[in-house]
Amino acid sequence: MNAPQWKQTALSAFSVFARWFLGGIFIYMGLSKAMHPEAFLKLVRQYEIVTTPFLLNSIAAALPWFEVFCGLLLVFGVAVRGSALMLVAMLVPFTYVVFKRALAISSAQAIAFCAVKFDCGCGSGEVLICHKLVENSLLILLAAALLFNRSSKLCARFSLATASSPDAGLD
Amino acid sequence: MSAPTSRPSTSGKRLSGVKEILIEGLLVATAGAVFAFAANWLACNLTRHASMPMGLELTRNYFPAGGSTNATPKITTASTNIQSNLEAQLRAEGLHLADSNLVARLFHDPRVQQDLVVFIDARDNEEFQQGHIPGAYLFNHYHPETYLPTVWPACRTAQQIVVYCNGGNCDESILAARLLRDLPQIGGEKLFVYAGGITEWATNGWPVELGERKSGNMREPGKAAPGK
Repeated sequence: MNAPQWKQTALSAFSVFARWFLGGIFIYMGLSKAMHPEAFLKLVRQYEIVTTPFLLNSIAAALPWFEVFCGLLLVFGVAVRGSALMLVAMLVPFTYVVFKRALAISSAQAIAFCAVKFDCGCGSGEVLICHKLVENSLLILLAAALLFNRSSKLCARFSLATASSPDAGLD
Repeated sequence: MSAPTSRPSTSGKRLSGVKEILIEGLLVATAGAVFAFAANWLACNLTRHASMPMGLELTRNYFPAGGSTNATPKITTASTNIQSNLEAQLRAEGLHLADSNLVARLFHDPRVQQDLVVFIDARDNEEFQQGHIPGAYLFNHYHPETYLPTVWPACRTAQQIVVYCNGGNCDESILAARLLRDLPQIGGEKLFVYAGGITEWATNGWPVELGERKSGNMREPGKAAPGK
């Protein structure tokens, strides 16, 4: 096995791992929220992003299932980069509002930022916010890496625009 | 499952990489939104009569504002502030705040036996089963259609009603009390919100009933407080 082949194999393996890992996490997190819709509704409400009941309900009702949908696409390798883009589009603003709320709690309760602990609505209950921010940053990096990924290994349909792999020799 | 590994055709390269990703993202977003709302609609309709219904009704206001304020938990600096703010808020809404002394007095009031003093647990069924104030009615205000047929007649004839949830930041008791207040023949004057909730109740070592209402199955004193 020459050097480029070895590199391509490693990249392919990484892309499969990233897809399955991210997909699995999003399916799990999405389902855990979808099973308890009122609890998630309350958590979304605490961020005070929207006040209109219809918008609030729509976000709380759709977001968990949307996460499951994107997770499934990643696991099966369908529209991988589009799904990764959606993950980044969800994770970045969500991480920002979690950060903002943690800052507000930290200053209101006069405690260290990393001592702030609350249920951020991530599907994993109450968490230390610094851990959550690190975790989210890693998820964002992983999703962003998939955006640039060109390996279609174990993908049902890597890209919707082209039926074939965007790059040759990666499988 | 792997796709063919040949180089993409010229037509496949027409879209630039970024544009292709954006278009694909848009398609995923559209399909995902359709999937998400359809799943919610299905969950809503298929589990409507289940003990733990899933799905949300998009047009319903789950958090009716009360009077001039709403009950969104605010980040405050001290517990005394929380207590006095809450008391003022409830008073403005025509409701009353109950402390643990009052709740204990009401619990031991002989009128409890005739359902003239009733306790309302405003949490969900799962939490209720894990432990509630003995004899309390379950009233998950997110699903009034399920619980009101039992709760409304009891509240209508009651002289005093104590509504509670987990305590702390939980505001289910306030939301449930608002809903009950606005029902015919109830009104706010007999509604008390127990802010300490089941957590304070259990911490005080007072009896906690497990399972269904009036199951008679009591938690051993000194066990950890139920609820999230």
